[in-house]
Amino acid sequence: MKSGNRLALLGLQNAPLILFVVVLLTFGLMSDRFLAIANFRNIVIQAAPIGILAIGMTFVLLTAQIDLSIGATMYLTASVLALAFTGLPWPVALLLVTVLAAVVGAINGLIVTVLGVASFITTLSTLFVLRGVAMWMSETRTLPFPDRITDLNRAGVLGIPSAILAFAAIFALAWVVLHQTAFGRQIYAVGEDAEAARKAGIPAKRITFACFVICALCAGVGGFVTVTQIGAVGPKYGDQVEFAAVAAAVLGGVSLFGGRGSVAGTVFGAILIKTVQNGLNIVNADPYIYPLVTGSIIFLAVAVDGLRTRILDTLNRRTIRPLQAN
Amino acid sequence: MRANRREFTLGALTAIAAASGWSVAAKAADNKTIAVLFDGLYSEFWVAGLQIIRDDLKKRGFGIQEAISDKDDNKQFEQVRAAIAKKVDGIIIVQTDSNAVIPAIKAANKAKIPMVHFNRPPAKTDAFSVAIQADNQKIAREAVLYSCGVAKDSGKKHKAAILIGNLGDPNAIQRRDGFDEAVKQFPDNVEVVARIPTEWDADKAFAGLTNALQANPDISFVFTSSDFLLPQIIQSLKAANKWAPVGDEKHVILTGFDGFPSAYELMKDKYMDACGVQNLFFETTLAMQAILDLQAGKPVEKLLLDPGFAITQANIEAKKDEMWGYTLWKQKNG
Repeated sequence: MKSGNRLALLGLQNAPLILFVVVLLTFGLMSDRFLAIANFRNIVIQAAPIGILAIGMTFVLLTAQIDLSIGATMYLTASVLALAFTGLPWPVALLLVTVLAAVVGAINGLIVTVLGVASFITTLSTLFVLRGVAMWMSETRTLPFPDRITDLNRAGVLGIPSAILAFAAIFALAWVVLHQTAFGRQIYAVGEDAEAARKAGIPAKRITFACFVICALCAGVGGFVTVTQIGAVGPKYGDQVEFAAVAAAVLGGVSLFGGRGSVAGTVFGAILIKTVQNGLNIVNADPYIYPLVTGSIIFLAVAVDGLRTRILDTLNRRTIRPLQAN
Repeated sequence: MRANRREFTLGALTAIAAASGWSVAAKAADNKTIAVLFDGLYSEFWVAGLQIIRDDLKKRGFGIQEAISDKDDNKQFEQVRAAIAKKVDGIIIVQTDSNAVIPAIKAANKAKIPMVHFNRPPAKTDAFSVAIQADNQKIAREAVLYSCGVAKDSGKKHKAAILIGNLGDPNAIQRRDGFDEAVKQFPDNVEVVARIPTEWDADKAFAGLTNALQANPDISFVFTSSDFLLPQIIQSLKAANKWAPVGDEKHVILTGFDGFPSAYELMKDKYMDACGVQNLFFETTLAMQAILDLQAGKPVEKLLLDPGFAITQANIEAKKDEMWGYTLWKQKNG
């Protein structure tokens, strides 16, 4: 490979990182407050909920499926938490919420793997059902959380905020599962080619089912972290958050077609999205510019990712030279 | 128990409406039916609005045909067509999109069924319908003017943040404009350093205000375009160690909009300085009167404004009975 091509490829492979540096420099030049340590802490705290959701979404995307119901799962579990569990010690409440979320994930997983319904349709249906149940339960009222829950937002260990701790714990767990276990390798195999994986003896349906449960579990935990931050849930809670989670995963290099990506990339994607939003807030940008800037950066990252994939495919393609006549 | 509570709410809201002097003409309805089509019950404002409409219709002896479209314009158009097919006597509608509702208005015009838009006007069109809308700009301006006065009295210059709603929602834009009109009158006392678009999203509101406080730790004046974002404002201010009542040195001058029960509670506890209140009772009466007048062939303006009012720390005792949020708060807290 020529050195120029190698440089271009290196650039494309690290495009999200380059984009991140450009974002940092741009906002850093516009406001000295942006590059403050306290602001980075802020960004990671704000990225924690969407990052946790996106980690769960990564598992499902890696198997070439999608879960559109995570926002509704968040809303349902948060509503149940507000209505029934706030009197319990928070670890117990969190446990119950994650169990409920896992049940939702199991239902999605069963419909997809046993009935063979496309995940897009399955989770779109559960989105409406779960949101409807949550609205019925809450009578569409805003449900406030008591201080014992919201104070968790300001709690931490050794000065590290609880949201960052939760984010780090979920990331570490997901990284170990995906990269250090046979189960993780099987997920990639199923996403790459489910039929080939099945022929190789991998229980593809069971793997896919487990990924839906993991995704819903992350939605439960991510929802819990969110309510500690925002203090109340209303009928719009979790609305369209699935798109942000998918965007974070794709920004981090996870393929929508399965089999490619990592949770480290997803975490990076979530932080990049929140960095852009934070930067716009910090420089007091014109409110009309927000969607333009955020959308452009996501589009750019995804376009570069597509270009990188195409170039890599081209470079890796084996060429067979025709025999030349003497 | 729950049914009793709801009945009590409905009764209380009606009693307030009657006590406030807005005529509730108990006209014989002759089995007339009104279709009430909301796009969703996304906050306590809409829940309370629907309850008041239901009760008003019941009191007048009208039948009611309800439907919720879940922000789906096509679904709402089908609901309008179904209502027309059933030959209802009027349609009260809350649409999601001001343009997408125009075919529904034209369909109602063709069927000669009066249509009234509750709290959200349609886009400009040659089709005829009546819109009931709060005078958002005026109400926001009055509430923020009071808070600017508080800022002036403090003798300090305050840095301000505004939480703007969805930029595609005319109500949100009018509230922002009302805020701007007020603060422009106090250039020596209030400087706007953060304009935060929330898209009516609690998470974006929390993150936006937290970030604004990071950039400007001395923000001491906050206006929210809707009270439903109050829990997120409280969380942000608590995290910044700025959550304190009126009179405390750390107090952030806080102004809300809508008149939620939570806003009343914060006013009562002296954490909030002022709140722009939409007069739901009056808006319901306007909507019903418009339908009756249109049925009777009387001319009705295309836009009927609810002047609303600002409730402040100075007038809370005198005005709270007109605040729908107070009625709900009283029902819940006795």
